[in-house]
Amino acid sequence: MIRNVAILAGNDLAIGVKNKTLYLILFIPLFVFLVLRLVDGDKADFAPVNIGLLEGENYSPAMIHGLQSAERVFTISWLPDENAAKQWLGERLGDGILIPSAAGASDCALIVLEKTSLQTVAIVESVTALQRSLEGGSGGWIAEIRPLRESKIQRQMLPTWILVLVLMVGFIVLPSQVAEEKEKKLLLGLLQTPVHEVEWLLAKVAFGMTSISIAAVLLHFLTGDGAGPDISLSYLVFLMAGGFCFSAFGILVGFLCRTQATARTLGVLFYLPLLLPSALADFSKTLNSVAPLLPSYQFYRPVKSILLEGSVAADFFVELLMLSGFGALCLLASYLLMKRRWLM
Amino acid sequence: MTSWEKALPETIRSSLESPIQLDVRGLSKVYKENRGLLATSFCVAKGELIAVVGHNGAGKSTLLKLLGGWLVPDSGEVRIDGIDLENRRALVRKIGFAPETPALFDFFSVEYNLALFARLFRIPFSQVEAVMDEFSLLPFRQCKVNFLSKGLKQRVSIGRSLLADPSLLLFDEPTSGLDFEMTNEVYVLLEKIHSSGKTILFTSHRPEEIQALATRIMVLHQGTIVFDGSPADYFESRVHQHLYS
Repeated sequence: MIRNVAILAGNDLAIGVKNKTLYLILFIPLFVFLVLRLVDGDKADFAPVNIGLLEGENYSPAMIHGLQSAERVFTISWLPDENAAKQWLGERLGDGILIPSAAGASDCALIVLEKTSLQTVAIVESVTALQRSLEGGSGGWIAEIRPLRESKIQRQMLPTWILVLVLMVGFIVLPSQVAEEKEKKLLLGLLQTPVHEVEWLLAKVAFGMTSISIAAVLLHFLTGDGAGPDISLSYLVFLMAGGFCFSAFGILVGFLCRTQATARTLGVLFYLPLLLPSALADFSKTLNSVAPLLPSYQFYRPVKSILLEGSVAADFFVELLMLSGFGALCLLASYLLMKRRWLM
Repeated sequence: MTSWEKALPETIRSSLESPIQLDVRGLSKVYKENRGLLATSFCVAKGELIAVVGHNGAGKSTLLKLLGGWLVPDSGEVRIDGIDLENRRALVRKIGFAPETPALFDFFSVEYNLALFARLFRIPFSQVEAVMDEFSLLPFRQCKVNFLSKGLKQRVSIGRSLLADPSLLLFDEPTSGLDFEMTNEVYVLLEKIHSSGKTILFTSHRPEEIQALATRIMVLHQGTIVFDGSPADYFESRVHQHLYS
């Protein structure tokens, strides 16, 4: 009995190696290790706080002097206006912006990415300590703290869920469907009809984009969070561009696999690295500098900005172009593989 | 008649008096370890019923898959009714291919499978009904393909290949895995299709079964045609003795 169990377990292991499922077991710990390395570690805590100040605004000279002299704790970036400053903060180039509040020149509003984050607490503590050491216990330079994005936590999570759906259709649903059609020779059967290779590819992309749209609409409906009429077109444009890009990418992944099992594994191997660095980019400077290299971030950042900051699609023309171009390249590669009847 | 055609055996030459439907020249597809189909040339006249026989790995399925557009050849030229095989879209209505394992959407019904292909071919649904009737599939029209016997699946697959009324039919091992009764049923079906004027190429690794059926036998061995002639000549030939005794 033990011998048979060992033989069968060995066989399962061989199947795992053959259909590449075993790669997942090796890949996930490696991936987590890599992501943890990319998330800001202890060193990041000692980095000076980068504070943005607006040019031409009337700041308290004592505060400016204090911030400038505490150069090991603060670095100052001068920014032309409030909009530029918010964009600067949104891109995580700095940690916070100090804007003179209406109450008086000595009071400032601190604008941060997340009002309740540990980083915000650290900024407030450092500024308060500096103010106390220079002026004693009277008043405070920070009169109020404002988050960059004025929205509920549910809404702030929405772009991440949208990214999850788009990548799920792209890398979990489509590759295994394409691989199944190849494995069962259904695709070859369809190509015996007047169907052209391009038509089949476009049908698959249309399926991917429709699935993504339905899931997104359902998500908005169930969370009770509708996009306003002014941003809905921009949002739709990016949803379609992302749907196109990742559906095409998923189809290509499907074409690179001989079997469904391989496609599922390869799908996850693409899914996690595209999802996590983009979704976690706001939490780490290191990840934030790595994430723009990923196509998923070119989708996530505009969607987040459109949904949470009221940006429009025109502000992200380059990202739109990159998503469309990358999708088109994937489709072209799939077409060439299909013409060669590669792994079919 | 070209010098190439003059070099063919008498039996083949006489059949070529009918217009040539399939013209294969130097067709090859070689896999690892030199398996597959080596450079192969032959012609098929309209209305022939050719059995391509040979042992497993002889290159029979590779030949049919190449003709059916399922594989891309390494070299060679194929013309069907004068049209190059590379012009796939011009040939889809001329070739019907039923693979060894029926490539059907097994989670859908028989009717759905046939209707899907009819829609893609822009064929009226009445043709689907006609095929189901001709192949005795009407009682199974709503059955999921998954639950059909192998013989029935093969019938659906052959029926589907006939939907667009192609003049050249390619059947890869149509009786593979079927019992004696079902094998005979398929052969009767092939005879019936052939009698309607179609050209048929089918593969088999049991030549004695197709003796009465085929008008011509082509034997493939290690990727090369080693015999091409009438069934009578074949069963008297050394090739048969050597390969099947």
